[in-house]
Amino acid sequence: MELKLEPPRSQELLPTQPYDRWVSPEGYCQAEFHKADAGFLIRFPGQADFLIKEPQNGFDFDVIGWSAPECDDKTAINLFHNAIQPILGNHTGGLFLHGSAVMAGCEGSDAEAVPGAIAFLGLSRGGKTTLAGSFALSGNPFLTEDVIDLRLNDGHYLLQPKRSKLRLFADSARYLFGENTPIEDADMKQDVEAGSTLPFADRAVPLQQIYVLGTDHSAPLSIRRYSMQEALSALMPHAFILDVEDKPRLKAHFARMADLSQDIECYSLDFTRDYAELPRVRAAILDNCQGV
Amino acid sequence: MQLSDRFTVSDDVVAREVGGETVLLDLSSGQYFGLDTIGGRIWELLSERPHHLSELCDQIETEFDAPRERIEADLMALAKQLQDQELIAADAA
Repeated sequence: MELKLEPPRSQELLPTQPYDRWVSPEGYCQAEFHKADAGFLIRFPGQADFLIKEPQNGFDFDVIGWSAPECDDKTAINLFHNAIQPILGNHTGGLFLHGSAVMAGCEGSDAEAVPGAIAFLGLSRGGKTTLAGSFALSGNPFLTEDVIDLRLNDGHYLLQPKRSKLRLFADSARYLFGENTPIEDADMKQDVEAGSTLPFADRAVPLQQIYVLGTDHSAPLSIRRYSMQEALSALMPHAFILDVEDKPRLKAHFARMADLSQDIECYSLDFTRDYAELPRVRAAILDNCQGV
Repeated sequence: MQLSDRFTVSDDVVAREVGGETVLLDLSSGQYFGLDTIGGRIWELLSERPHHLSELCDQIETEFDAPRERIEADLMALAKQLQDQELIAADAA
């Protein structure tokens, strides 16, 4: 699947009403989903529009993107990777979740076992990327900063590495990489490429645990295991769904998520969003991962 | 609500057994519901085809060790909850 990026265009009022919206906890619209001729139009207000044409063969979607005039093409490309691709991945039977992931080496107590991955799911601006960056800087390579792509193979959910960069807001970038970190735009996320001090895992590893980040950013540190039933309802909001009116696909997706909630340990994770807390949060997660 | 009433499951609900319980997701509201083993069995039967509540009682009585009066009372209570949440609906046929 490739993105065909057209020259920027203004986001004129669309002739259709959206059949679905992504709304942030603060109540502003992050994305609108419209039915369009032979497919869908997804609008990210103030950022970009994407026209998705249903494929003839069932898999190869045509995706055309237009940046909004006030945004650069990089924003549209990031949205394509972090939203459009996982949306279409789930639409075609895949298993994609909104989250970051790092390697943790917590496959049982056998030190020779294959290292596993731990995933952090959460809403935008919930701390997923900062947590992944914090783990990476302390020696746990990151696999992805925004999209969990799982592929079932031989009884394992293999978590696929994505782009080898973190996208961080200025405050997180400065905390993780120092006060002298160059910031292009204080209001936008900064791209930070992986490197020797920020290791990236470039191969798929089995998913071991999922942590769902709580929305109370002043809550004390706590980790609680979800029952399988709780896990299913906790995971579902972090999936990417293209067509909420397509019941057969929704049913199939629900079944895949139910399998995941039975096969993988899921936890709720609360912690105070204070950078000074991150070492304690990392230690608690690794202890939990190793069964301490 | 009476035992002679017949019910069918809503098209807007997906169900899946998870860890020995049945989890229902109402696609129209996004709400989740949990059913225990017997509730899950009743959902399974209703998903196969519309049933009268008395038929469901007959089936549950053959599969679970419980007095008929208790089964009827529990089933009526469950059916009312499911109907109130629009997870099942009366079937006129």
